[in-house]
Formats: sequence, structure tokens, C-alpha cells
Amino acid sequence: MEIPGRIWAGWARVLICAGCIAVLCGANGRIAAQTGVQPATAQQASGKQGIEVAAKEDALALPDAPHPAESALEGGETLSSSSSFQASALNQPPSSGPSLSDLGLTPAETEGSAARQALMDRRTHMLKIHQRLGLITVIPVAAACISAAGAPPEKGNYSDTASRDLHIALGATAVAMYAATASYAIRAPRVSHEPARGGVKWHKYLIYIHAPGMVLTPILGAMAYNQINSGQKVHGIASAHSGVAVATAASYGAAILAVSWPIHLKF
Amino acid sequence: MKKLSLLAILLLSLPALQLLNSQTPVPDQTWKLDQSTLTYHMSHPMHEVDGTSHAALGKGVCQAGQCDFLVAAPVKSFDSGDSNRDLHMIQTTRGAQFPIVSVRLRLAQAGLNSPTLDCDLEVNFAGNTAHYAHVIFQQTINGAAHHITGVVPATVSNFKIDPPTFLTIPIKNAIPVRVDMVWHAM
Repeated sequence: MEIPGRIWAGWARVLICAGCIAVLCGANGRIAAQTGVQPATAQQASGKQGIEVAAKEDALALPDAPHPAESALEGGETLSSSSSFQASALNQPPSSGPSLSDLGLTPAETEGSAARQALMDRRTHMLKIHQRLGLITVIPVAAACISAAGAPPEKGNYSDTASRDLHIALGATAVAMYAATASYAIRAPRVSHEPARGGVKWHKYLIYIHAPGMVLTPILGAMAYNQINSGQKVHGIASAHSGVAVATAASYGAAILAVSWPIHLKF
Repeated sequence: MKKLSLLAILLLSLPALQLLNSQTPVPDQTWKLDQSTLTYHMSHPMHEVDGTSHAALGKGVCQAGQCDFLVAAPVKSFDSGDSNRDLHMIQTTRGAQFPIVSVRLRLAQAGLNSPTLDCDLEVNFAGNTAHYAHVIFQQTINGAAHHITGVVPATVSNFKIDPPTFLTIPIKNAIPVRVDMVWHAM
């Protein structure tokens, strides 16, 4: 019974010793790989077996971690803030890793359309003209409103038509420019069928006031003009000309403000 | 004597085994973005605008001690409260042609639980790629949820975007993006 016991004890010692050597060598190699110790250093430290382990770890070739601060400063760049933008490929995160499809995005969602972009560009271009013309139109609208003060005949003097003609000219210009402005908004391609949100919603609601107003105002103005020219006092529906014009001008101004609101002046 | 030497060998082997255990590579891990709020801020002498998206998707994959993260959001998902402005933003940023804004970053797996994360970001937006180094994010961990907040110092010129104008005055170049995300390991 004693002889087998000795044999077992001997084998156990041999196995434990072998295990310890393997563990120590293996751990050393791993530490060298993970702490960035050069293989040569690892070789010197752990002898022949260490060389084999280091070579094995090299073959696995773990991806390099980024070295942001060192790389940037070596390149002579000064990092003045906590973060910095770099146009170059310094410290580039990997192109590997998850892809857009891994996130559940379909090609239809990730692939763009040049045609659709062109449509949006056209829309923006037309709406920019709409905006510019709309702002310019404020001038003849305001001028027509101001010149309205001299349009009615003074104390029955129906022969003086100069100020009335000026008012008509300014009003006609305002209507023509308004039509041109509206045409750009109407002809701009529609790219979304979702309901409007925000200021543009009010901008669109106000169309229901100033668009009919821009049609009615010159009609009523023409009627009033004819009545005055025939020596009559302005009467009937034509007497609503000024009221309709004021409502139209006010709603037009509100439509401009609606797309500009809220304004936070900060220079 | 033999028993003593055996005991000594056993005692010596214990720390070695412990050392081996500590150096064992951390098992592979996958991270998922649970909730997100991305908010860009646009500044103009007459307007201050914030556009927010809650539609970002994100995933992180950890392998061999390194974690690669990807966060992506549709450009059209940013809502500034004005549909016309949002459409204009999509047009200006070429969002119909490049409908996704994506951010890639790599972090060491060992540092994922740190209260601050120093990230090098690769942002793909408007058909251009910009790199932002050392963007600091704050992290708070509640159980399995990792709550990340920070600001990406993006600018319009980084992505070669023509700055939109209002009354002929262009918007400011800086369009910082506030990030508020909740991640969890799967």
C-alpha cells in the first residue's frame, strides 16, 4: 500500500510543478501583450518559452487602442480645449464594429436619393425667392396704405386725380408683386405630406385672409374709383375697400412675422 | 519534508493561478442603446433654435478588451418645432442624399464604467466625415443602465455645409449637439 502511495505523491508533485511553470510562463506572456511590452523585453524576461508565447500573442494581433493625446501633440498641434476637431485621420475610430444594418436600419432607410435631394434643393431655391419677393412686396403694400390718405376726393374736388392715380399705381404694384411672391410658394415642389408645425402653420392659415383680400381690394378699389370718377360719393360694397385693404395688409404683415417668430435679438 | 515541499508548491501556485485569472480576457459583450435624446443648437442673431431627435439607434460590440460603438439617427428625425425649418435643415445638410448621421467610437472595455469617458468620435454627416478628439462624456450608472451625457462640438464648416441665412445673415458656425443616452449591456 505504501509503494502506490509514494508513486501517486511523486506524480502529483510533478504535475503541480509543471502546472505552476506553465501558469507563470503563460501569465507573463499575456501581461507582455496587454501592457504593450515589446516582444524583445518579454523574451529577455521569460526565456525561450517566453519567446514562443510572445510570438503566439503577436499572431493574434489585438487591434491597437487609439493614442489621442500623444499623436496630436507629436504632430505639433496644441489642444486648447477639452475636445478638438480634426480634419485629418488622426485617432480615427475604427471602421470596423457594428454596421448600420446591425442597428436594424434597412438599405431603404440608409441609402439616399440624389433625385430627392435635387427636389429639395429646388424647393428651397423657390422658397428663398418667395421669401425675398415677399419682403420686397412689403414696400409697395406699405406705400399703397400710406398713399391711400390722399386718394379720396377732398371737399368734392373730383378733378384732382394725381394722388389717386399714385395710390392706384402703388396698389397695382403691390398686387402684382404679391402674385409673383405667391406663385413661387405655389409652384415649389411639395416634399412632405405631413401637417405643418410651428410658425409656418400660421403663415399658411393667414393665406385665407390676405389672399382673398389681395383679390378683393383692387376690385373694390376699382369700383370706388369709378364711382368717384362719375362724380358720386363712394357707396355700397366699394366703401369696404379701405377696411379690406387694412385687414389684408395686417394679415400679410402677420404672415411674415409668423415665419420669423420668435425673434431673439442677440448680436 | 516531502509534505512540506508539496505544501510550498501548492502555496506558490495559488497566486500564480490568481494572476492568470485576473489576466483572462474579459468575455465579449454587446451594448444596446435604450433611450436617447440628441439636440442640436443653432444660433442666429435673431433666432435660437434647438432640434431634438429621440430616434437614435446604437450598438456596441466588445472584443478582446476593445469596444466599438455605433450610434445612428435619421437626419429627418430632428424636430425643431417648425416643419418648414426642419425641411430646410434636411435640404441644407443634404439629408435626402445622406439620410443618416452616424457616430463611431472605440473605447477600452476596462474603462466603460468610468464616470467620465474620453472619446474620439468619427461623425459621418451630410456626406462628410469629421473627427473629434477628446470629447468628454459624463456617465452615471444605475444598476444596468449607463446614463451618458455630453456635448459634441460640431460646426457647420466641419461638414462643408453652406450656413443657412435669414435676412442675409448666416447662422453661427457652431452647432453643438447635446447627447443624453441610456445604454445597457446585453
